[in-house]
Formats: sequence, structure tokens, C-alpha cells
Amino acid sequence: MNAETSAALLARLGAAVDARARLRRRPLGDTVAALAAAAARWRDDPALRAELPAAARLSPAMIAAVVPIAAEALDAVTMTKLIERTWGAGAARRPAPDGPALVAHVVASNVPALALPAIALGCLAGAAVLVKSGRDDPLSAPAFQRALAAVDAQLAATVVTTYWPGGDVAQEDAVLGRAEVVVATGGDATLAALAERLGDRLVAHGPRWSVAVIGRGARDAAAALALDVALHDQRGCLSPHAVYVAGEARGFAERLAAALEAVAERLPPGTASIEARAQARFLAAQAEWAAGATVLQGAGGTVIHEGEAAFRPTCGLRTVRVHPLADLRVFPDLLPTGQVECVGVAGADPTPLVAALRARGVSRVCPVGRMQRPPLSWPRGQRAPLFARRAEPLLEVER
Amino acid sequence: MPLEAELAAALEAAGRGAPPPDFAAWALRIFAHQFERNAPYRAFCERRGVTPATVARWEDVPAVPSAAFRRVDLACGPPEAVFRTSGTSGAGARGRHLVPCLALYRASALATFAPFVLPDAARLPCLCLAPPPALRPDSSLVQMCVWVGEGLASGIEWMIGERGLETERLLARLAAVEASGEALLLLGVTAAFAQLFDACRARGRTFRLGPASRVVDTGGQKGMTRPLSRPGFLRECWTLLGIPGYYCINEYGMTELCSQRYDSALDDRFHGRSLAPRRLAGPPWLRTRVLDPDTLAPVAPGATGLLCHHDLANAGSVSVVLTEDLGRAAGDDGIAVLGRVPGATPRGCGLLLADLEPR
Repeated sequence: MNAETSAALLARLGAAVDARARLRRRPLGDTVAALAAAAARWRDDPALRAELPAAARLSPAMIAAVVPIAAEALDAVTMTKLIERTWGAGAARRPAPDGPALVAHVVASNVPALALPAIALGCLAGAAVLVKSGRDDPLSAPAFQRALAAVDAQLAATVVTTYWPGGDVAQEDAVLGRAEVVVATGGDATLAALAERLGDRLVAHGPRWSVAVIGRGARDAAAALALDVALHDQRGCLSPHAVYVAGEARGFAERLAAALEAVAERLPPGTASIEARAQARFLAAQAEWAAGATVLQGAGGTVIHEGEAAFRPTCGLRTVRVHPLADLRVFPDLLPTGQVECVGVAGADPTPLVAALRARGVSRVCPVGRMQRPPLSWPRGQRAPLFARRAEPLLEVER
Repeated sequence: MPLEAELAAALEAAGRGAPPPDFAAWALRIFAHQFERNAPYRAFCERRGVTPATVARWEDVPAVPSAAFRRVDLACGPPEAVFRTSGTSGAGARGRHLVPCLALYRASALATFAPFVLPDAARLPCLCLAPPPALRPDSSLVQMCVWVGEGLASGIEWMIGERGLETERLLARLAAVEASGEALLLLGVTAAFAQLFDACRARGRTFRLGPASRVVDTGGQKGMTRPLSRPGFLRECWTLLGIPGYYCINEYGMTELCSQRYDSALDDRFHGRSLAPRRLAGPPWLRTRVLDPDTLAPVAPGATGLLCHHDLANAGSVSVVLTEDLGRAAGDDGIAVLGRVPGATPRGCGLLLADLEPR
């Protein structure tokens, strides 16, 4: 991949901002319709399906499973609900209110297709959009722009997709400096460096993980949770790394291990580096010798049943800790503040936990089995998805 | 004669030129010994359905992950010494290696150090860049240095005190040795050498130590305040101490092992193999396999994997240790260490110095 020069990229950005200005009277409903149609085209792009497994290091079966999920998130009904919730009833019939002229997204590539919600949210906010792809998925963003161009060339002209290697400070300063809002996902050091230069224009998403809680009323939650773990090979911030089980945790651990095996037959793991695989071995080895811990390891992943309740992320590669939970009410206290993005729930009513989970930094509560299907309205990082300034941290509960 | 004492005698004899012990036969015998006397290890093997009756090849003896040494005591009898891994404060539990027969550790350590570091049978004065035993009685490296000082050197001086490297005293000793023209053995942790190099550069001081002076360092990057590559280390040894690269020998050891590996450079040169690639070679009673992390099967030759050591000199504890080190086979008899598994607990003798320095 050749990085484009800053000058060339800035020229494209200028053209995108101009194109956006020409659409300032366009009703948002037209944008919704174009995005939904583009998502459907993108989903069926044969070149994307063919090339993405190797780029993203996910199995072809996994790509075949997650591409439709990413496309479905750009559903017209959901997008309409989001804009009406944000800007009031009838928002679809009106143009987007005044907002940022250019939103830049520096997307991660741990999970493919993150460019789709980035582009959609920027377009719905009435902004021109820059998407800088991650190293492991330089394909999704240009493929979506192609699909958008096919259904709505004017809207597609407001979107710029690009790639440059991470850490290119000169490029970052030149290009990101042009945007009113920069949404960036990355490691703590990367984000700290960006924050220093971008100040409050930066919306930063650092490393986060997810957990699940299984109440006594849960049935067949293991299979649903196994799917949540396996999708994207557990690389995303919505991937559960720990499960808290009220009731018989050891039995649940065994069912989860069996369910992971079954999922792996349908959705085989992608290739993993020697370092990552060694890390998984090392984690399992540590757990095997810990007092009171049991390690259930197979081709589908690793389940570690342990008494210690404190949340600790695993190394990924479909590795999950199962902790017994004596009292559902103490569950939020077990989570570190600011590290858990989503809580999947089965067999319990999450309502009494919501305030405490919000205080812990959780942005999303959903049924187990839907953790990897975030709606576009997901207030990631507890922030409003359409860049509206809100004082209170957001948490969305999906039923 | 107990098994450990019998093996110690065999290793000592090997050090004097006798044939080394039959690895495969001893490996199976030691496994039976450990299975019988080491209860946590026996339980570990039984969980895998492995007993001495089911093991026909040394490669099939179950490997214990080095992490286990942080959780349980793995010994076949009352320990004569307990060695602890070095680590940074708060970085997790330190590992403990209980050694029931120190004579076996001593026999292995000296019978390996001698051919790799002193193939010319030189007896040199030793300046030790490690803490003395009074400061770190639980360090297996320090114990080995004591034995080297007693058995293979003409004397040993410890250059690390309670507050770390005693730089001025070390520089003064180097100046005196340089003036005498005498050859010197500098033995210690890599991080201490890095501090010595910094001190030399800060003072604009270089030494030309006597011919056949040599450096033995261990610990690698751990505990260093700045990165120093291996080529950089060798360059500093030449530029600042006047010691050529083939007299610079890196040691690879672990608290959990009673045998070590050494850079092959000097041994190769002494035996006319100067063109052989540098690698970490060991004694015949230490074999290392490079394993796939998923399957624990050997990787293809030259491929990267987890290092798994089978050390007969560990007869008193557990002989097969799966490390958190990534490496590959090098040459017919060596390995190259490529780094640690990400997320593994910082440990190793490189941190001996960090442990001592005021924070």
C-alpha cells in the first residue's frame, strides 16, 4: 500500500467538504436510503469477500459471517430511529443540523469493516468523512465507497478513504488537523500522542473488553455466548473475555467449552501469530497451576474456570474466564472502571445494574448472543454516536 | 548411591573427559524418580494420563510450564537450596526452584562453564558483575558465580554492592588489571555491563585488557535502562574493554534449570570452527526442543516456537520445563532465543541489578 502524499489527500478532503456543502439542503432520509442501499451492495461485493480473509487474518467462513452483520447495522429503520432520537421526530425529512464540516476516523483493524459505521455516522451528522483504514483491513472502506458511488455519487463524493502507516506524525498533523472531529481507536500511547496534538477535537477509544453475566434463569446461554466469543476471533472491544455465572459455574464452563468447539467447526479460527499462540499457551499454563482453577482447552478455544472474581482480560484467541457469582448485585463492583465496553446478559434482568454499570464506564448492555451485533446507535465509549455534546455518560440497554 | 549423587558423579566425570551419561536412559529413569517423589508433578502427569509405564521416549516426558514454579514447590525431596527468580516488585509471584542436591547443580554448572568459557583451561581472576551471595543468597546465578570463583578462577571479586554497581571501584580494578597486562574474566549480568559501558563513555575511558581476557554476560535486555543489541554489546566490549567478540560469551540460564547454555563462539574458535554461526550450545545432558504453542509438537527445523528444556541435572525437581521464551533451533546443537512471550512476567537475572538499585 502506497501512502498518498499529504497535499494530494488534502486536495481530496477539500473536494469532499465542498461536495458536502452542496448537499446541505438534502433531507437526511435520502442519506439514510443511500447508506442502506450501499451497505447491501457492499455486503455482496465478491472482491471484498475474496480478499478480506487474508488481509484481516480471519477464516473465509468468519468473513462470510461477519460481513452481513456489518452490513445489517446500516439498516434504514435503525438509522432513522437514531436520527429522530438525536434530532427529534421528522428528522428524516429535514437536512442534518449544523455540525462538523469534516469528521476524520482513524479506525482500528482488529475487527474488519469498522469503516462502515464510521462513514455512516459521519454522513448522518452532515459531515464530510475521512476514513483512515487500519493495516489489517484496507479493503472495507474503499469497497463501501464504491458501493455508495454506485447508488449515490453525490454522497460518495463526500467520503474520502485512505491509508497510511501508523505513526506518520507529519501525515497525521497535516490531514487530521483539517478535521473538526477526529475519532481514533488505538493503544494508550498512540491516543495520548494524538490527544496532545488534537486537544478536545479528539474522540479517543482506547483498549476495552467486554464481559457477560449469566443469571440463574438462563437457558442455553453457552451456545449464544460461544458465538459472541468466536466472532472476529475475540479481537474486538465487544468480545467477552470473562463470564460471571450465578449458579453452577463449573458446569457452565464445560458447556461453554463444548459450545466453542461446535462454533469452531462452523467458524474456524484465522491464523494467529506465534506470539499470540504462545501467549494463549502461557495463560492456560498459569491457570492450570493456580489453586482452584480448571482449564478446559480444545480446538475451539480455552475456558478457564477460576474462583478469583476480579476481571482480567485474556489473551484472546477465544479464551474466556468463567467466574462464579454469588450475588448478581455485586457484579458491577467486580469490573474495573473504564475498561469494560459491553455487558452481555442472560437469565437476569439488567435493570437494577444499569446505574452501577454506567458508573463503571459500560456503554452497552445487551442479550448474550447479540454482543457482536452493535446497533449504529451504540454510544461507544459512552459518547453520543452523532457527535452531539452530552454532559452525562451514555449507556444503551438492548432488549 | 542416590540417583542425584550418581548423576552428579557422572557429570563430573564427563567434565573430566569421560563419556556423557546416556541421555535417553537417564531421562526415563529420572522421570520415574520424579513421578514417584514429586507429588504435584505426579498429579500433573496423571491428569494427562502419563505414567512411567506409558513413556517410552524421552520426548514424551511431560513438560511443566515455568509458570508452575510460581505456584507450587516441585521437588523430589527436602531442598538443600531454594533459588528464586528475579523480578520487578509487584509483577507477580516469583518462581522458586527447590534443589535437593546442590552437588548435582555444581557438577553440571562447572562441567559446562569450563569447556564453553575456558576451553584453554585458563585460570583467570574474576571480576563479578553480580551481587555477592550475602546480598542474594537465593540467586542461582550468584551460586554459580561462587562455584566458578572457587573452582575455575584464580579468585573472585564482587563488583555489585547494596546500591548497585560499584562503578568507581570497578573502573579502578580494570585500570590495575590493564596495567598488569594480566588476562581477566568479567562475569555478570548484561545490564551491569551496560552500566559499565555508560560509565566508560561518560568518562572517555577505554581499556585494553590483557590478551585472552573474556566476558561472560547473562540476562539480556532485562533490567536495562536503554536498549543494547547483541552486536552493540560486542562492539562495546571491543571498543571499551579491548575484548574481541569471540571472547564474549553470552550465557542462557534459568533459575528453574541446573544446566546452562553458552554462546558457542569461543568453543567453536578453539576447536577450529570459526565460521560456524553463533548459537547457544549446551552440555549433552541438556536438550532443548522448539515446540508449537498449540500442539506442543516440534516445529519445523528453523521455525520459531516455545523453548522446552529437558535438563537431566534437574533430577531433583522437574527435568522438562516449558519456558516463556520464544526461539528456534540453530545449527545441529544450538538454539537462538528470540524473546519472551508477550505478557509474560518480567524475570531473570538481568533484574538482579534492578532489584538492588534504589527506586
